[in-house]
Parts: sequence; structure tokens; C-alpha cells
Amino acid sequence: MLSFEPYGNPTYFALLGVALLPLMIGLLYGKRSRLYETLISVFFLLLTFGGPKWTQGVALIIYILYEVALTWGYAVYRRQKNSGPVFYLMVILAIIPLTIVKVTPAVDHGQASLIGFLGVSYLTFRAVQTMMETRDGTLKNYSLMTFLQFMLFFPTISSGPIDRYRRFEKDYRSVPSREKYLGMIQKGVRYIFVGFLYKFILAYYFGTMLMPKLEIMAMHSRGGFLNLSWPVLGYMYAYSADLFFDFAGYSLFAVGTSYIMGIETPMNFNQPWKSPNIKDFWNRWHITLSFWFRDFIYMRLVFWFMKHKVFKKPTTTANVTYIINMLIMGFWHGVTWYYITYGLFHGVALVVNDAWLRYKKKHRESIPHNGFTQAFAIFLTANMVCFSFLIFSGFLDKIWFTK
Amino acid sequence: MAKRLLRIFGPLILAAILVFAVLAMPVNVGFSHVSATKEKQAAVSLSPNVLRGKHIKEAALKDGYVPFFGSSEWSRIDPMHPSVLAQKYKRNYRPFLLGARGSQSLTQYFVMQNIQGELRNKKAVFVISPQWFVKDGTRKDAFGYYYSQLQTAEWLTHFRTDAIDRYAANRLLQMPAAKSDHFIYAALQRVADGKQLTNYQRFYLQTRKNMLTQEDQFFSGIDLPSRNLSRVNQQAKQLPTHYSYSALDQLGGRLGREATGDNPFRISDKFYKQGLKKEVKTGSLKGFQKNLSYTKSPEFADFQLCLDQFSRLNTNVLFIIPPVNSRWQKYTGLSETMLRQFDQKIHYQLQSQGFNNIVDLSDKGDVPYFTTDTIHLGWRGWLAVDQRVNPFLSKSQPKTHYAMNDKFYSKTWQQLSPDDLSQYEQNTK
Repeated sequence: MLSFEPYGNPTYFALLGVALLPLMIGLLYGKRSRLYETLISVFFLLLTFGGPKWTQGVALIIYILYEVALTWGYAVYRRQKNSGPVFYLMVILAIIPLTIVKVTPAVDHGQASLIGFLGVSYLTFRAVQTMMETRDGTLKNYSLMTFLQFMLFFPTISSGPIDRYRRFEKDYRSVPSREKYLGMIQKGVRYIFVGFLYKFILAYYFGTMLMPKLEIMAMHSRGGFLNLSWPVLGYMYAYSADLFFDFAGYSLFAVGTSYIMGIETPMNFNQPWKSPNIKDFWNRWHITLSFWFRDFIYMRLVFWFMKHKVFKKPTTTANVTYIINMLIMGFWHGVTWYYITYGLFHGVALVVNDAWLRYKKKHRESIPHNGFTQAFAIFLTANMVCFSFLIFSGFLDKIWFTK
Repeated sequence: MAKRLLRIFGPLILAAILVFAVLAMPVNVGFSHVSATKEKQAAVSLSPNVLRGKHIKEAALKDGYVPFFGSSEWSRIDPMHPSVLAQKYKRNYRPFLLGARGSQSLTQYFVMQNIQGELRNKKAVFVISPQWFVKDGTRKDAFGYYYSQLQTAEWLTHFRTDAIDRYAANRLLQMPAAKSDHFIYAALQRVADGKQLTNYQRFYLQTRKNMLTQEDQFFSGIDLPSRNLSRVNQQAKQLPTHYSYSALDQLGGRLGREATGDNPFRISDKFYKQGLKKEVKTGSLKGFQKNLSYTKSPEFADFQLCLDQFSRLNTNVLFIIPPVNSRWQKYTGLSETMLRQFDQKIHYQLQSQGFNNIVDLSDKGDVPYFTTDTIHLGWRGWLAVDQRVNPFLSKSQPKTHYAMNDKFYSKTWQQLSPDDLSQYEQNTK
């Protein structure tokens, strides 16, 4: 049985092209065949989760049945009643599998959990968001079939972007006009080709060719202050470049493929390296994730704190919520000291950034604002981010704690 | 609509056609020149890409480099390493090191497949590691690591239906790496059955070979590791300006003494501390090689493939049999008798077929500073190698007369106890 990493090699793209061709012709002539879409979805899911990885496939099926039962059950319940505790219980139940998957390696000597599969986080985000919008009442007509299609939409299943149920449904229920669809194909093809440049050339260079060399050099140069050396700095930049090009490349494939399928999956990156501050960075980096956190954790926490008047000053509320929000994001990456530190680092950075922006607003006349300060802000932000990625990479763990 | 679609997909289709056309082209265009610097770098790089490829090897061997087949010993670069000596004393040959950790006879046989023109009627050096000849022969993962579809495809376009190539095909079919291409796998099955390839298979292999050749030509020279070349240059600085055996022997002794410190095996301290010190303290290695044997192994038949290839191409080969550090050998309980018997068996296989250029260093395990670690040549060991390699390659050699025998592919030979060697010789005459 063939088995592929999604978007991993030329054969995958060739199969993708062949599979998308009939779908494209259909859409051009104003037809969307649910049956055909389901068939190719199943085919590509089999390629990703079948063969030697069949245990993951089984985990995926059980997980999906579980989440469908929860969201559907809750949607039915919500039509009659709206009790807080029931809602909280359902959300907790929905994130239990993800929690087990994330905690298992930390308590079981790095052993991966049996119920895990590629993309479990992203599916959980989608399910929880569906539930929350059902509670809000913004999502009224939950449909089981649409939910299944939304969860199992193969272009984005393994690593996002994280779409929203209502947005997806709108695209999925309609057929774009020919003029619009041609534009979407054009964009889709361009995204996929930029993705090739990012993932197979740039990420390959930084990640596969440069990083291992810098790693060896850094490991050999241990012994100085905190075992740090110039190669560690090089590693920091190479890792950051690899992380960006690899993930942005992957996201471009996912978005490009979605476009060709007539679904306008939201973009995940928007030139993050030109952000002048850390807040702006999170509006440009892994956008669907940070917006998910903004809408479903940050905003809700702020609202809850304000409603219960926990803090006097609104700035305190914002600051505490920033830290909690980013800590949760850190924990979500995995239960290791470096992911958590990474979350904390960004939480603190957001707090400091807010304080600075307030200070700047007050003293507008005395603080210069020109091309140079703008360039400096971008430089500083990019370097702060790279430093946070060095923490995130776990490389410090390696140079400090391995023999 | 058609116009718009053409604008979107036209460039894509054109690009695909161009890429395929360039890759499938049967002739080489441009990029064929390999600079002298690149050859120099590749010759000592020990890069698996170079070993698996063709282009760089071929170019270098045409420029006076001599193939040095072997394995992990090549990475032990000290001032007496063959590459260092050849460079420093401007010998009329330069070694092109082929093989690295884990490469054994079967890998080398396929390596030879796409440099046949450069081996024909030429000379070569071949280091036979006794450690290859363990019960199961080459490790499947190690073989897979060095496996080259290009070399296999090339071999499949010129194989013969004789016992040699049938054995090679059968052996390859046992390796998971052979399954990496379904068509090649099917072709190998036909060769193993003694059949000719079908027309379609020939066409496929030819196209595949062209594509892999182009790929190799375009990409194998990118990002060659340069660390070993700088090590060679570094080591060469320690050598005296003019070659003198006694001066080098003294230098080897001195460098060896400095590097070995006071560890119990008289081997490089760096190696000792990295790999052995802890185990020696706990005693977990004491006697652990007591039952190890190098006398019964499929490797003997794999090695015969290399010999047959040399005979087919009339290559004159100098074989080197390195020793095992005797202090280490006694400590781990590796049998002295077994090592001697291995030596006898391999000598018989070589000499009975006319391969008489053998540098047998197997009894030098107790010479101080002869090995750099437990099983690899260093300092004086390399110098001893040079004593034979230099005249062999610098001077013209008498014509070789090989008399090959397919009996060395038999299970009987692979599993033959060296005690029965003379009996076997009688029976198979």
C-alpha cells in the first residue's frame, strides 16, 4: 500500500493533479459533485493514514466518531436548553483526546500516545470552535454531513489552516461563478508553486543542508558561557528560516489545493517578517491559529474576567489574559520546558509591547517616529521572534542537558 | 475560458515537458566539466552521493585518480594516510577513496558498474576488512544506504546471463533496497531466472538510466563535504618536505605515542574516551567477541563478485588485509586461530584465481602505533600500506593472469570451515 506524507513528494502532487482535474471541469461548468469530492477525500486520507500508518487511521476514525457525537449531541441539546455547566463539560470532553496525546510523551518517556494521529490538534480546534459557536447561537443549523466534510477536508487535515465551520459551509454549499473560479484556480496554482520554492528549495536548504552542520558545530563548541557559541546563533536563524519556509510552504499547498476545490480556505501567513511589533507579528504568523486563540480563548477570558470584575484595571485584565493565552499555546505545542517557556516569552513580550505602545501614545511629541525607527522596530521584532524560536526548537535543551 | 486556462496552465505544462525532456535526454549537455578542485574534494569526501553517483567519479578517474575500494578505514586521516602521502610527495597517482562505514563487497560490485571504462586494464587498491565476513554478511540497512538505482540500472543494461550476474541479481533481490523501483525489481527477477529482459523493460531501464544520469550530473556535485580535504591539507603540513621512510616511521611512532596516551589498548585516546572508556570500566566488553567468527559468511561470495568484475575488466588490484589491534583482540576474546583461518581462506580465494598482489598485515596487530583504534589502520599501519601501494601504482606491473572459478559462489564455499580447506581444494580441482 502506498503511503505519503501530505504534499511530501512529486508523486503526491501528480496524484493530486489527476484527482482534481474532473472536479475542476465540474466547477467550471457550475457543478459540484459531493460524491466525487468524498471519493477523492477518502482516497487521499487513505494515502496519509493507511498502509504502515493504519493505527493512526483507526485512531482518526474513532476520534471523528467521538467528536461528531459530541458536537451533534450538543447542537441537539442547544436547541432546547443553554446551561453553562453542560457546555463546559462538552468542551472538556472534546479536548480530552488532544490533552492525552499532548501529555503522554511527557509522562511516558517520550512515548507517543496510541490515540494520536497526524492533525489531531487541528481537528480539535475545529470541533471546539463549532461547539462554541453553537453555544453563542451564531451557528444555528448544524448539519452532520457538512461537519464531517469540514473536519475531513483533506487539503487541510494534517496541519491547517484552521477554517471556520460557517465560512467553510458557505463555500461548500455554493459553486463560484466561472469568472471567480478561474481567478481562484490562478491563485491556487500560484500558491502551490510558491509553496514549491518555499518548502522544497528554501526549507530544504535551511533545514536539511545548513541546520545539521550548524548543529554539529554548536555541539562541538560547547563549554563556554552557558555552552553558547556563534554556531548557536547561526542555528537560531537557520531554524527560524526552516520553520517559516516549511510551514508557510505547506500552508500554501493546503490553501492552493482548497482554492482549486472551490473553497477559499483562509491564508496562514502574511509577510510576518516585516512586523514592526510582536502584536502585529501574531496577526501575520500562523494567522488561523492565533485568531482561533484570540476568538476562543483570549476574548472569552477577557469577557469572563470583566463580567466577574476580577481585576480593577482593564490593562491588568489584558495583561493576565495575554500570559494565560500564550501559556496555553505553549502547552498545546507539548509539555516540555521549552514549549512552555516559549509561550511565556511571547506572553511577556505582548505585555511589554502593550505597555510600550501606551507609553508611546502618551509621549508622542518626545519619541521620534521615522524610517529609521520603523526599520529598527522590524529588526528588533524579527530577532526577538528568532530568539523565541531558538527556545521553541528545543536546541537549548540539547546543548544544555545532553552529554 | 480556454484562453485564460491556457494562461494559467500553459507555463506549467511547458515547464513539465522541459524538465522531462532534459532529464530523459540520452546525451549529456553542458555541466559535464568537473573542476580539478571538485575532483580533489570528492576524492576524499567519502560522500555517499559521490559513491552512488557516476559523473564525478568517472571524471576524476580519467584524470589520474586511482580507485581505492574499502570502507571505514578511509576516514582515519592522519599524516600517513594514502591520500595525504600522495598529495604531499606529488606521486603520479591520487587515491579516489570509495566506500565508507558499512560499505562492503556487494556495494562495491555495484559501484564498479558505472566506472567500467575507468577500471578496464587499469590498477586499483582494495582493502578487505575481516569484519565484513560475519555470519550474515552485509547489513541490509547499510547496503540500502549506499544503494544506487543508477548503478543498478546501468548494470541491467549490460549484464550477462552467467552465474556471476545471476548470483548478483539473486543477492540484490534479498535486499529491501531492490524494491525501491518496481520495474527494476521485476527486471532483477528475470536476470535471477537466467532470462533476457523484455523489450519494454529495456526501454524503461534505458529511460530511467538517462534520467538518473542527468540527475547525477546536475546535482551530485552540489554541496560536496569539504571537511576531509581540509583535514588532508592539515595533516600534510606535519610531514617532512622530503620523503624518507625512516623519518616517517619515527614521526608515525611519535604521533602515535602522543595520541594514544596511556590507555590499555594503545589506541587513539580520543577514540578510547568517546567509545570505550566507560564500557571498559564496567567490564561489559571483556570477552564479548569470544564466539565471533569471520570464516563462514555470504560475504565470501559477494567478494567473489568483485573479483570476477576485476577479472572481466582485467584490472590489476592490490589487496590489503588490515590487522586487528592485538591488545583489543585479547581483551575481547576474539580468537587468534579464527583470524588466522580467515586469512587462509581469503588467501586461497585470491591466489587460486591469480590475484597475487596481497599486502597481508594481519599479523601486525601487536606493532606499536600500527592501528589508530581497535580495527583501523593508522600511523605506522598506513606507512606500511604506502610501502606497497606506492611502488605498485608508480611503476608498471607485469600482466595479470586470472583464472576465475564459479565455485566461490556456492553455499559450500561460503560456509566452508577453513579446517577443510585442503580437502576442498582436492575435491574441486
